Amino acid sequence: MRNRRSWFLLLMGVLVAILALVTFGCGGEDEEGKETPKATAGEGDLAPPDQQKIVVQSGEPEFFDPHRSNFEQDIAVERMLYRGLYQLGLTDSGEVEAVPAMAAGEPTVNGSVYTVKLKSGLKWSDGQPLTAKDFEYGMKRECSPEVAGPYQYLLGETILNIVGCDDYFNSGEKTPEEQAALRDEMGVKAVDDTTLEITLGLPKTTFTTIMSLWAAFPARQDVIEKYGDKWTDPGNFVGNGPFILTEFVPKDHVTLKPNPNWALEPKPELQEITVKFIDDTEVAFRAFQTGELDMTLIPAAEIPTVEGSDTLKSQYLKVSAGRIWSVEMQMNNEVIKNPDVRLALSRAIDRETLVKVVYNDAYVAANYWLVEGIPGYQGNGPFESIIGYDPEAAKKALADAGYPDGKGFPTLKITSLDRPDRKAEAEFLQKSWKEILGINVDIEAVDAKTRSQAFNSKSFELFPGGWQIDYPDPENPLIGLFDTGGGNNQYECSDPDIDAKLKAASTETDNDKRIKLLQEAETLIVTRLCGAAPIYQTAMPYLVNSKIGGVRANGSLDAAMPGNWCPECWFVKAQ
Amino acid sequence: MLAYIIRRLLWLIPVLWAVATITFILMHLVPGGPFTQEKKLPEAIVAALNRRYSLDQPLWRQYLTYLWNILHFDFGLSFRGDRDVSELIRDGFFVTAQLGVLAFIVAAVVGVVLGVVSALNHNGFFDYVGVFFATAGASLPNFVLASFLIVIFAVKLGWFQVLGWGGPTQFSDALDPGAWDIKKMVLPVIAVSTLPAAYIARVTRASMLEVMNQDYIRTARAKGLTQYAVIMRHTIKNAMIPVLTIMGPIAAVLVTGSFIIEQTFAIPGVGRAFVDAVIRRDYAMIMGATLFYTGVVAFANLAVDILYAVFDPRIRYK
Repeated sequence: MRNRRSWFLLLMGVLVAILALVTFGCGGEDEEGKETPKATAGEGDLAPPDQQKIVVQSGEPEFFDPHRSNFEQDIAVERMLYRGLYQLGLTDSGEVEAVPAMAAGEPTVNGSVYTVKLKSGLKWSDGQPLTAKDFEYGMKRECSPEVAGPYQYLLGETILNIVGCDDYFNSGEKTPEEQAALRDEMGVKAVDDTTLEITLGLPKTTFTTIMSLWAAFPARQDVIEKYGDKWTDPGNFVGNGPFILTEFVPKDHVTLKPNPNWALEPKPELQEITVKFIDDTEVAFRAFQTGELDMTLIPAAEIPTVEGSDTLKSQYLKVSAGRIWSVEMQMNNEVIKNPDVRLALSRAIDRETLVKVVYNDAYVAANYWLVEGIPGYQGNGPFESIIGYDPEAAKKALADAGYPDGKGFPTLKITSLDRPDRKAEAEFLQKSWKEILGINVDIEAVDAKTRSQAFNSKSFELFPGGWQIDYPDPENPLIGLFDTGGGNNQYECSDPDIDAKLKAASTETDNDKRIKLLQEAETLIVTRLCGAAPIYQTAMPYLVNSKIGGVRANGSLDAAMPGNWCPECWFVKAQ
Repeated sequence: MLAYIIRRLLWLIPVLWAVATITFILMHLVPGGPFTQEKKLPEAIVAALNRRYSLDQPLWRQYLTYLWNILHFDFGLSFRGDRDVSELIRDGFFVTAQLGVLAFIVAAVVGVVLGVVSALNHNGFFDYVGVFFATAGASLPNFVLASFLIVIFAVKLGWFQVLGWGGPTQFSDALDPGAWDIKKMVLPVIAVSTLPAAYIARVTRASMLEVMNQDYIRTARAKGLTQYAVIMRHTIKNAMIPVLTIMGPIAAVLVTGSFIIEQTFAIPGVGRAFVDAVIRRDYAMIMGATLFYTGVVAFANLAVDILYAVFDPRIRYK
């Protein structure tokens, strides 16, 4: 009897583990990266300070430490807590640009040495002076092997190429003395309190944009050395953004209050922002309806509910996001490597209907790769007639590939996230290909990590996936994604013409010529369907309580609430 | 009895070891690790992260290190924010247990009362009401019930709130009276307690009906005991044995939390934390939570076995 019970306990434990590992292996997808807000004044009358409090929804950040952050929800909150030398904003004509934030103006460029002057009199939230040394420390920290920052490559050779950043980062096996020497050799130097000198391997036209990102945020050496990994805990926290972190309850919320030493205009009107951690936007949607949330992302499935209600409709705000979505195709596959097969698959997808039936038109049908909102956007125009929906052309392409009416075509596998909307998307593709091309695909629906693992190990055939831009520049969604051997080129696109364009673009110092080269690369990638057939660009459907003013998009195309707007511009209107 | 309890507790050690080992193996067999993501991290960054978290060590060494650490009650750090796993489980369990205990009390009271009333009113009006509740409650999944409750009582009527837990969410706030908000407690408690209440009601009713037909009940009546004495002293007490048997596992399930209910009401409990940990391959948190669950289930079963002896004098442990 006792023996049997022990076995029962053992069995229970194992069952719990197996059930959790297998059954619940679905849900939240791992996703990334983001940008800065621009200070713009709000409109309307202000409510008194005691009413200047709002509650907003977000996924739970892992860290509030910008140099360790990997996910959009982390970076979204960090945008409220810190600010870089530059920040992103929109020009009057609606184009995204990096404008000075902590910097006093544009950098002085001498070859590949960039000198940035800081505004004078800057302070941290605790009143201590904010100097060029803090930026030097912050960037060196991002390149530190001990910190192991997931976005180190933004400062490393892959993107900005600060001299010595990669050497320092890859020195994990070396002695502390050797590491210190490599750190000192890095091309970031505070010449004096307000002058920072950054040496790059090559001149870089996107310098100010990269300097607006979290990887280049300043950090306080004394605070970090005193508190170690606990330096962002309430009470220890020191920042230079419009808000400070005053309370943190893991799994539940953080509370932010205005930073009394915030250097830029406007000064925050909000006296308190509570960021509630809610991954399930369906839950958040109901909490918005009960008045417990003032701002939230909502599921696309609820858009008809929102549009059917006058009160909700007036609070609905759709913001374009910098994510392109596609059917990624493994070019090493014997069948898929035939360009006519890829053309047939692409031309059989009715993108307009897909975004309508699966996403209630929350997204925009796309035949392009460079998203709307970044320089170099070409839109559907050049591509729709070549790869867009056309059943007859699709059938012809499949016949040209040697499979008339799908005869002899093997069954391919499509690997999708095990989430209702993504499964519906995969079923839509499956049905389209069956009906138009007469071919079969099997759907394999898996959890986020299994899906990513399949992608990174290149063990997939067809894979709905895409790219969320880290910063609004056309190099970000291209370089490393479509060049032969690129770190994110898991579909094995390998085309000498594309390689040549991307290589030329990465060393081109004339910005207009550089963007032209990147557009030409996009044209080759899309028309040759080199690894990906674009299907839509996402947008983020939000509900924003009508009592809140000053909420506007700033062109940074963030996918996370609430980082892509200027939080210091938000205010509660007088009722 | 004491020797029995000590023996049972000692048995827990090999059980926990086996669970830890099997979970460790399964966890590393599942595709993808904590740093696997669609936007692949460069090799150098993954190498630096692995070094930071000692994942660059061979698996057998990670396993031995883990066992050594848990012997010292060090459950490691969650990859999410480097927070201490024991603190996360403690705080999560603190919330889940409040919900679980409240739901258990509601389920036990409602279930037993309904079951007893149904049995005493066998084939009468209250019996049908009780059976209807028991059947409906058992067949309605708790997330469906939760959605109905939310839409009707929170969204339409505005009586209750749906976001977060209405009790203290961190152990350190336990004594803060300002941390209690009953408007946020009612719906999750109802959603969690309905199914177990229905189950307890069915078992209570069936058990009562069976006991009421026993010879000793007839004897009790024959010797002239009042109806009250017969029911309270002889019927209910004896009918409670099968009810107690199911209450152990019910208590264990309730205090370890429901992922779906915690997700639906955004409650920062341990059930949600565990499932999140699996989704994110947060190794230390998966291990810590699995061991914690095993311990809770073991103690719940032990408690039931001890209660048997209390309620049924025929049961003696050696």
